[in-house]
Amino acid sequence: MDLVALQNWLDNVSFAVLFLTMLLYWTSAAFPKIPYLQILGSTGMGVANLCIAALLGARWIEAGYFPLSNLYESLFFIAWGITAVHFLAENMSRSPLVGVVTAPVAMAITAFAALSLPAQMQVSEPLVPALKSNWLMMHVSVMLLSYAALMVGALVAIAFLVITRGQEIELKGSSVGTGAYRTAKYRLRKSEEASTHSATHSGAMASPSIAPPTASVSNGAGGTAVLNSVSDTATAKPSVPLSPQRLSLADTLDNISYRIIGLGFPLLTIGIIAGAVWANEAWGSYWSWDPKETWALITWLVFAAYLHARITRGWQGRRPAILAASGFLVVWICYLGVNLLGKGLHSYGWFF
Amino acid sequence: MTSQNSFTAKVINIREIISDYFRKELIPLLADLRLAILLLLTIALFSVSGTVIEQGETLSFYQANYPEDPALFGFLSWKVILTLGLDHVYRTWWFLALLILFGSSLTACTFTRQFPALKAARQWKFYEQPRQFQKLALSAELESGSLNALPSLLKQKRYRIFQEGNKLYARKGIAGRIGPIIVHASMLLILAGSIYGAMTGFFAQEMVPSGETFQIRNIFDAGPWAEPQIPKDWSVKVNRFWIDYTPDGTIDQFYSDLSVLDQAGQEVDRQTIHVNKPLRHQGVTLYQADWAISAIRVRVNNSPFLQIPMAQLDTGGQGRVWGTWIPTKPDMSEGVSVIAKDLQGMLLIYGMDGQLVGTVREGMSTEVNGVTLAIAEVVGSTGLQIKADPGIPLVYTGFGLLMLSVMMSYVSHSQIWALQSEDGSLYVGGRTNRAQVAFEREMVEILDQVQLKET
Repeated sequence: MDLVALQNWLDNVSFAVLFLTMLLYWTSAAFPKIPYLQILGSTGMGVANLCIAALLGARWIEAGYFPLSNLYESLFFIAWGITAVHFLAENMSRSPLVGVVTAPVAMAITAFAALSLPAQMQVSEPLVPALKSNWLMMHVSVMLLSYAALMVGALVAIAFLVITRGQEIELKGSSVGTGAYRTAKYRLRKSEEASTHSATHSGAMASPSIAPPTASVSNGAGGTAVLNSVSDTATAKPSVPLSPQRLSLADTLDNISYRIIGLGFPLLTIGIIAGAVWANEAWGSYWSWDPKETWALITWLVFAAYLHARITRGWQGRRPAILAASGFLVVWICYLGVNLLGKGLHSYGWFF
Repeated sequence: MTSQNSFTAKVINIREIISDYFRKELIPLLADLRLAILLLLTIALFSVSGTVIEQGETLSFYQANYPEDPALFGFLSWKVILTLGLDHVYRTWWFLALLILFGSSLTACTFTRQFPALKAARQWKFYEQPRQFQKLALSAELESGSLNALPSLLKQKRYRIFQEGNKLYARKGIAGRIGPIIVHASMLLILAGSIYGAMTGFFAQEMVPSGETFQIRNIFDAGPWAEPQIPKDWSVKVNRFWIDYTPDGTIDQFYSDLSVLDQAGQEVDRQTIHVNKPLRHQGVTLYQADWAISAIRVRVNNSPFLQIPMAQLDTGGQGRVWGTWIPTKPDMSEGVSVIAKDLQGMLLIYGMDGQLVGTVREGMSTEVNGVTLAIAEVVGSTGLQIKADPGIPLVYTGFGLLMLSVMMSYVSHSQIWALQSEDGSLYVGGRTNRAQVAFEREMVEILDQVQLKET
């Protein structure tokens, strides 16, 4: 089989599928009543993920090394990473809003790689001596996966910022455990109130059918059903029954963004350290303030600041989310912007 | 006597003031998370400046690129850059001071926040009153549930369970409380290791032709206490340097065959190094970093083989070429220029008029100006980067711990309390510090199953 022709076919297909997926997710967010749209969207994302995996696999067979040596390959790897982390985030949040923000970014990356990169930059080329090392796979793949995770986390934070615009939000979930306690106005409510409260609370954020992403847990009958199942026992009791206070859509998005960034951050740490150890083994210095290195550190510092902002009084609410959202830009500068400077060790196999 | 007393009293007083200042002012300030966030973002911002402004260039470079009038953005002239040290951001006193402040903040934070938090997590208490459950967001009152249904459910979900009569406490993911402490400790270890390395290590570069022996002399960067690291009792012989090329002419790999010789000239170690595979000897590491053409060995007619040095020619950044001049008449009134651009063995020969006369390959000969020019060998020289860094073990330990602990820090510390009250109803409540969404799902599932067991 002609691997090159297969690759050319696969890169266009993954772009087309992602474009369609994006439209599906957007329609499902705009018209939540149309059934199956979210499932179709997820399917599209899965197909795109497999197409890109097959594309990279074909490259690996063709070139004989892990395909991470030029811009085209790394773009597709990062698009693959975004689709993979998308599934994680979607599965954790059970909200179609994740796809609304991840699909366009994955689509844009594949579009750039497949359509606007000149053909001579798409072909697989032999590795330069400095990259001939097993560290290449370890360092570059972990770095790109961390970029993918951080981007998805930042995108979900952007979605959070959009749906909470103009609202005061208190955060749930941070390493000191703020938010695990009942908010004052929900303390000691009756079961009737409990269900209506939570419905209006989340209903204010979005239309009803996307509102109960966390509520379809047990019997699948919508947000109030779960609460009823708990409060059934409680209604028999005339006094003040206690039932779980559920997370709203905003809470969920915020927490998923935090968890995904929390996953990207260790990956980034490990990737940077792998790069440092490789540099020390190959060139004799684990840190040389090369622009790419420095920007990876800057990305690390920005997300470290985000993780700390969440546990700081007076810094909760939308501020950490703004920090996370600006992290999206920082990741892009680190990934592509630095190469515009065109110096340092990381300019191998890139464009300018 | 009294003055002596008042003096000691004063000293004690000053001591108290200082220790008070540390306890009440300085440490809380250093441990303030807002300071930590500010430091993280400030270090990030100054790091950006070092990637935008060219680092370590000459004075004339900055004068040419950052003129005083018009200054970039109205203020960024070469004078400002040099005064602030923006030409070497990462080595300025203020950047290093920021890093030290960052280290102090890390230390203060570990002691005033993280250890107490871990202690609190380990010293859990049973909840003995139903009202204690009211403050938890995820708590429920089950009218007829049984406490005995919980342990098996919680065990399935990998909780560690403590039970005493009608009270139950379960927890998992305490690693998530320990992780951040080790993260901070390993960052301190990396900072300490890098400072120690900068003080006691050195960097050197040597360009050595194939076949020659050298001692490490060309040190371009050394810490104030680097002297003991610089090797004096051994030298290195470059047995051979060569480049492997791919079939289409691009470089595949650089190799240097090196021997370490002791003072008597005896070989104590021999290794072939290439990029990504250095040679280590007594704490000093030699890396393959660069290369050049040092000489050609030629024979003119029946002369013996002569080694003639090649010099790198200025091409204005258009790639690297080396050249030399070979006389073709005994009185040196005529000769040819020989040019090489790599070690693949092809040489270009130019005549007196600057015109290309011909080419010759390594091991072949050619006729020019009526003489036979035989090229025996193009001799390469290897560019070695040499360094010693005694801080490496510390830094690597920090790296290892950091990787481990940053993964531990992803774990969410979840706690669940349960109480069977005297009137028979079961109170269950819980909280977690990171994974709110996943924990909510887990709690609801547990509550559902407890009820299922009842009915």
